[in-house]
Amino acid sequence: MKKYSIYFLVILLSVGCKKFLEQPPDNRAVLNTPEKVSQLLGTAYPQANYMAFTESISDNVADKGIGGLYRTNIDPYNFKDVSSNQQDSPEFYWNACYAAIAAANQALEVCSKASNPESYAAQKGEALVCRAYAHFMLVTFFSKVFDPATAGSDPGIPYVLKPEKVVFEQYERKTVQYVYEMIEKDLTEGLPLIDDKQYKVPRYHFTRAAAHAFASRFYLFKRQYAKVVEHASKVFPNDNVIAMLRPWNTEYRVLTYNELWARYAKATESANLLLVETPSLWARNYVGVRYGLDATKSNEILLAPNVSGGTWIFRYQLYTGGTNNYFIPKVNEYFVRESVNAEIGWPYVMVPLFTAEEVMFNRAEANVFLNNITNVLGDLNAYASTRIYNYSPALHTITESRIKSFYRTGNAQQGALAAVLDFKRAEFVQEGMRWFDLLRHKVPVVHATVEGPTFTLGANDPMRVFQIPDVAKLAGIAQNPR
Amino acid sequence: MRFPSGRCSNNIRVMKLFWISISIMVILSTLPLSVLADPAQEFKVTIRSKRTALSEVFSEIRRQTGFVVFYSNDLFNDKEKISVNFIEAGLDEVMRNLLRGRPLGYKIAENFIIIIKAIDKKKESKASIVSPAPRVTSIDTIPDKQLKGKVTGKEEDAPLGQVSVENLSDHKGVFTNGKGEFVINAQPGDSIRFSYVGKAPRVIIFKGQSFLSVELNNEEERVLSEVIVTGFQNIDKNKFAGAAAHLKADEIKLQGVADVSRMLEGRAAGVSIQNVSGTFGTAPKIRVRGATSINGDNKPLWVVDGVVLEDIVNISNDQLSSGDPTTLLGSAVAGLNANDIESFDILKDASATALYGARAMNGVVVITTKRGKAGRFSVNYTGNYSTQFKPVYNDYNIMNSAEQMSMLAELERKGILSPNVLDRPNNGVYGKMYDLMNAVDGSFPLENTQESRKAFLTRYAMANTDWFDVLFRNNFVQEHSISISTGTEKSQSYFSTSYYGDNGWTIADRVKRYTLNYRNNYKFNDRLSSGFATVGSVRQQRAPGALARNSNPVEGKFDRDFDINPFSYALNTSRTITPYDKNGNLEYFRRNFAPFNIISELDNNYLDLNLIDLRLQGDVSYKIFKDLKYEFVGAIRYVKSSREHIITEHANMAEAYRAAGTATIKRNNKFLYRDPDDPEAQPVVVLPYGGFYNRTEDMLQNYDFRNSLTYTKVLRDKHNINILAGQQVKYADRQRFSNTGYGYQYDNGGTPFVDYRILKQTIENNFPYYGMSRDYDRFVAFYASGNYTYDLKYNLTGTIRYDGSNRLGQSKKARWLPTWSVAGSWNVEQEAFMQNVPWTDYLTVRASYGLTASMGPATNSSIVLKNINTRRPYLTEVESVINLANLENSDLTWEKLYTTNLGLDAGFFKRRLTMSLDVYQRRSFDLISLIKTSGIGGETPKAANYADMESKGLELLVGGEVIKQKNWGWKVNCTFGYNTTRITNARNNPLIFDLVVAEGGNRQGYPVRSLFSLNYKGLDHRTGKPTFADQTGKVSSDVYLQDDNINYLVHEGPVDPTITGGFSNTFTYKSFSLNIFLTYQAGNRIRLYPAFQTNYSDLDAMPREFLDRWIMPGDEKYTDVPSILDAFTQAQLGGAYPYNNYNYSTQRVAKGDFIRLKTVSLTYNLQSGWFKKAGVNNLLLTAAATNPWLIYADDKLKGQDPEFFNSGGVAQPIQKQVTLSLKVGI
Repeated sequence: MKKYSIYFLVILLSVGCKKFLEQPPDNRAVLNTPEKVSQLLGTAYPQANYMAFTESISDNVADKGIGGLYRTNIDPYNFKDVSSNQQDSPEFYWNACYAAIAAANQALEVCSKASNPESYAAQKGEALVCRAYAHFMLVTFFSKVFDPATAGSDPGIPYVLKPEKVVFEQYERKTVQYVYEMIEKDLTEGLPLIDDKQYKVPRYHFTRAAAHAFASRFYLFKRQYAKVVEHASKVFPNDNVIAMLRPWNTEYRVLTYNELWARYAKATESANLLLVETPSLWARNYVGVRYGLDATKSNEILLAPNVSGGTWIFRYQLYTGGTNNYFIPKVNEYFVRESVNAEIGWPYVMVPLFTAEEVMFNRAEANVFLNNITNVLGDLNAYASTRIYNYSPALHTITESRIKSFYRTGNAQQGALAAVLDFKRAEFVQEGMRWFDLLRHKVPVVHATVEGPTFTLGANDPMRVFQIPDVAKLAGIAQNPR
Repeated sequence: MRFPSGRCSNNIRVMKLFWISISIMVILSTLPLSVLADPAQEFKVTIRSKRTALSEVFSEIRRQTGFVVFYSNDLFNDKEKISVNFIEAGLDEVMRNLLRGRPLGYKIAENFIIIIKAIDKKKESKASIVSPAPRVTSIDTIPDKQLKGKVTGKEEDAPLGQVSVENLSDHKGVFTNGKGEFVINAQPGDSIRFSYVGKAPRVIIFKGQSFLSVELNNEEERVLSEVIVTGFQNIDKNKFAGAAAHLKADEIKLQGVADVSRMLEGRAAGVSIQNVSGTFGTAPKIRVRGATSINGDNKPLWVVDGVVLEDIVNISNDQLSSGDPTTLLGSAVAGLNANDIESFDILKDASATALYGARAMNGVVVITTKRGKAGRFSVNYTGNYSTQFKPVYNDYNIMNSAEQMSMLAELERKGILSPNVLDRPNNGVYGKMYDLMNAVDGSFPLENTQESRKAFLTRYAMANTDWFDVLFRNNFVQEHSISISTGTEKSQSYFSTSYYGDNGWTIADRVKRYTLNYRNNYKFNDRLSSGFATVGSVRQQRAPGALARNSNPVEGKFDRDFDINPFSYALNTSRTITPYDKNGNLEYFRRNFAPFNIISELDNNYLDLNLIDLRLQGDVSYKIFKDLKYEFVGAIRYVKSSREHIITEHANMAEAYRAAGTATIKRNNKFLYRDPDDPEAQPVVVLPYGGFYNRTEDMLQNYDFRNSLTYTKVLRDKHNINILAGQQVKYADRQRFSNTGYGYQYDNGGTPFVDYRILKQTIENNFPYYGMSRDYDRFVAFYASGNYTYDLKYNLTGTIRYDGSNRLGQSKKARWLPTWSVAGSWNVEQEAFMQNVPWTDYLTVRASYGLTASMGPATNSSIVLKNINTRRPYLTEVESVINLANLENSDLTWEKLYTTNLGLDAGFFKRRLTMSLDVYQRRSFDLISLIKTSGIGGETPKAANYADMESKGLELLVGGEVIKQKNWGWKVNCTFGYNTTRITNARNNPLIFDLVVAEGGNRQGYPVRSLFSLNYKGLDHRTGKPTFADQTGKVSSDVYLQDDNINYLVHEGPVDPTITGGFSNTFTYKSFSLNIFLTYQAGNRIRLYPAFQTNYSDLDAMPREFLDRWIMPGDEKYTDVPSILDAFTQAQLGGAYPYNNYNYSTQRVAKGDFIRLKTVSLTYNLQSGWFKKAGVNNLLLTAAATNPWLIYADDKLKGQDPEFFNSGGVAQPIQKQVTLSLKVGI
């Protein structure tokens, strides 16, 4: 009897012990409902801003001789590896993308292990698209641009499919082709599962529209133009493009600069398909950096005649901050103080990752390659009607012949592409979007400096690929050739 | 990386327990004269003689056995001659034969044989050793003899009244009268016990004499063998192989110092105490044998009567010196009444701390509290009355108001104090002057003429305000403690209560503390005993209203908004500022665009801390068999503290929210509300009425219990075995709640007026206006320890322990950790060869090796997910998301430590010279550090067990009684501890700022917490601004402190001292005793007070160094004190902070070595018959001075206390104080 009671006690003790020690040390979250997985996915978007380094490496900027000196601006301009791992640097962006991927993978692990996977469908959809997006951005910046001829041999970036559970996990780069296949797989599997009704703040999540927008960009890079058109068209309900574009000609033009700053990256703007909050200094720096939008470049991009024959409305919101610092008040800062009364804290920038404008341009570009010039013109005219000062269809309608004469070419396709890219350049100036076009079309970039030397980034220059962080070597990842 | 607020348009460079379980190792006496062994059998006698007188036979017995035979001559004639023939006969046999045929019996006790009248024939034949029990029946038959006697106290040299005199045979007792006389019934051979409070009890065997003189000695002199209390066991020092120090509370007590942890300074070798703040409730920085962890806590584990004292809040290494309000809860022992403490045991090596296993890495301090004693009734009162001295400007290097005013004149000339100062949030004399010249209402109270300006400024130049006098006072600190101790063999009780009251060294603080301690022990029978204790304390404290500080690596400084710490205010505020105007009214200057006066502010902005701490503790001990004992110890503790931050409507902090006088102020006042949806609107006031009522609550619920079995056996006298096995469970839940109350109207009946926009502002800034967090600590352990001692010469101890905790997260793998230790010692003095060395009392050689551990600062053995609010500017866009705070680290484990310890203990010349030497080497591994990873997993710097460190050290304790005479005495005690650490492996990636701050930083190859400096390269020839080797190695005045290139920094040394110790001298003459105690430390480096700024206002106090500053080009050859920049040069700095950098340069470092006269105390033990008549047994008067003199410190410190971090907030330096102490025993 006594013996049994001792056995009983031992069993009771060991079971009790286990339960006792299973109490988490703090009130951390446990992912046990679809709602919580949704909340986790709120952090599956790369919280880093690429604007500084992509804008600085692009042909939108010139050397002013003086101005704010930041490595995230100086190094890309001089086509050097960026020696900073802080906000706005490629390394910071690399880390943010993989942090987003980690959140997505964590969510996917819960979705796949759940006893009722069907109630996790929407979450799975968002997570897959998020994972695809972050990998797409990584392969775009840190690998050679997709080229069907070489994609099978160009090293890609590690495509991470499961949560990391040890301190030093090993990864491999594989090829750009592989990464593109994986992105397409995740995207096509995830997109149909997305359910817009799941989101509390839809504009900060991959809604169907935002996912289609991403697909349009992805296929544009993958050169599958029909798919671009297909996905892009799903962004615009009833194909009403104008309703979704930023109301520059009407509302924006009368805003004060403070008001425009406040509005540009707000969720209520129908043009903003996907927004993300990023710790970034770009809002305070984009005006005053040494290598930025100066008089020459603003002339070239915003003030020079364009194919419509009219004047960009942008010039009415073009400001100067000090000498030779030109800017459009579109990148605003949200400053999060360290404590209620502190003077220091974290500057944030809300970044529109996908906009209606981009989708429209993606469709136009795809139509150029599909040789549907009419459709290109349709989109360009819709766009022009919102961006040309005192727009009058009679005066400003873009036609094939107008393109041919403006660009002095007999090739309507070539002209239309030039028009699309020029419009896009003006639309997204200072937002870093130009770099994507320069990449896709392998456009060389020439940077003159006040000191004398002029640097050229050739069409196949290895410096077109941003350098993978040094620490990645710890995971067995080779850096890009230099 | 953090950045300053504000958009920069262009060109602006942005920087950015136990009754005792008593496992009383039942010390089965192994003394040669074993009481338990039967002497009657053991001693053999051989006597052959014819017709010898009985007396001669008795002499022979004495010669052979040492037993003295006592008898009364009326019993028989000792000249009677008899013949005897005993060969190897037992004493019993001999005595029975000798007394045959006589009506006599005998008794053998100790080393006496007492011949008495036989009780009756039957009994005599039965047994000759009469045990006390049958005596009870014989009382009627044999009339007791009356024993008369007198008791005197040796030390008092006077009769003692009220001494308990008890006949242990019949358990009847009497008390001595006032002359020390007593009469008690006793039979020869009875044991009589004399006991008296404070005296060692004495048992005397009544040998039939008619008068007995008894002298009682003071208790302390009784101690022959020391006992080490580990909290789990009490172990005889000669069986203990670990490194530990035992300190008696009475010997180290600092009169008038409320916090017991501060008493350990300099008392135990290898224990370093740095008083980083002297404020009540804050903890000193305590290190037992230096640091063991890089990022984790390095504070020792506090154990009170066998139960671990959990911290109310966890305070990290850096927070200790931060001055943050939370530090008021930092000291684990702040609620203990120092008078209740019996002793401290500091357990240092792996063997000593082994039973604490995975929590023992940083050493253990075991506190044993007083308990009631059998047969003694005593009441003791202790009163301490102290006053603390105000600081004086002579100790500090600060300009007087005339010097300061001439500096301000220079600032004015350099264009810094122009009327533009009115745009600034803070200003002083000049600001006031311009304000009066530009009065808004159109009147011009001050004419803008040279004369009127001069007249205005002259008053302030002459002011020479003594801020210390204004803000400090010679306060009165009183501490009253009463204890009542009583008890019988069956039950003992100890009751104490105390009050500590300090009306405040500064006008902003005061403390009251009440403690209660009620402890009862019961012995139900020989097998079962138990004890219960109720310990409680209540604290009410006021402190200046302080907020937590923020580190600002951008400019290279720590920021604390609205800091009104009186000490830092006095040091930092210009002496030209006057607290009162000409009419004697409070005079206000501008701060945060609102009127500010420190006296008024301290009245209107303060913290009220209330704390209640209650602990119930119980233990049961049951002897299952003779050698096997079961014990239970358990405690429940409940602590609740609330901190109310009262900010009335008159506080500057509230007024700042209402400062919107001019458009400029509106634009610059950061406390006004700017609606993000209306970017063009003017900032508006959102706190139109009232102040703030901010409340923070901390709660701790904790229980801890332990079941153990102890087996103790002595085999053939020589083999001593002790085995302990047990199990322990700990539970601790902590909760923190904080709330910001807006618009509370203190003057208007306490109605809150809340403008919704202030909540909107708070929320839009991503701050919740309230918060609550919980923390759960669960802990289970199994342990076993075995000790074997052979012939008192050789000891061998081994311990294993298996700990389980939830702290690392939900992972079965990481949860459990085994720890172990082995130790051995050799008591050399027990060896035969040592018997010829009479001057050596003891000599022990010890060695130990073992593994201990500690919980590191990481909890991610399973993934850590935390909800956060997204940082988005519009409330409609903010959502609650789950952030992946830390990835799972399946390899995460505890921080561990291997310690090797070699020790030597020796005592010579009847313990007049004692010493103890320990050398140790420690290897910490699996330390948790943030390391950089590829980032591909999604977390770049990860917390992982990826750092190792080594430490080495030596500890020496030498004690001596230089003079030991009846009236004179001189005792010396000296401790010395040396410890060095080196991080052998750490893949962290520190920034320059992490390494140059006063708290030091961690870098591979260097000691833990090393101080680094920017390499100062002289002053700039043209502007006199300082230059340094910057992050790229170039000479520049612009060093980017957030850069991770640390190769150009200069290593100064560790922040923690490598050498610490104390030197105590006690001189006694008759009833006087004088103690002089010095403490010292050396080997560390201190960052000097950050006196230099880019920009000075008319509010700042400047150090006198400025008088030697660079004034014109060429001066850089003669001085290293940088210039004061003119407005133009300031504008040219372009976001560089050379002056803040200067504060972090090689120029601003001092050696931390110091020798401090810690206490001087004179005690008079008042002994007079007069008191005795009044019923007072003893009366001790002590006058003590604490911290009176810093004998040596680096000259560069210029008054700065080498221990104190002047960090503002609630921090205060340790005070100089004098205490009068009265101790009365009834």
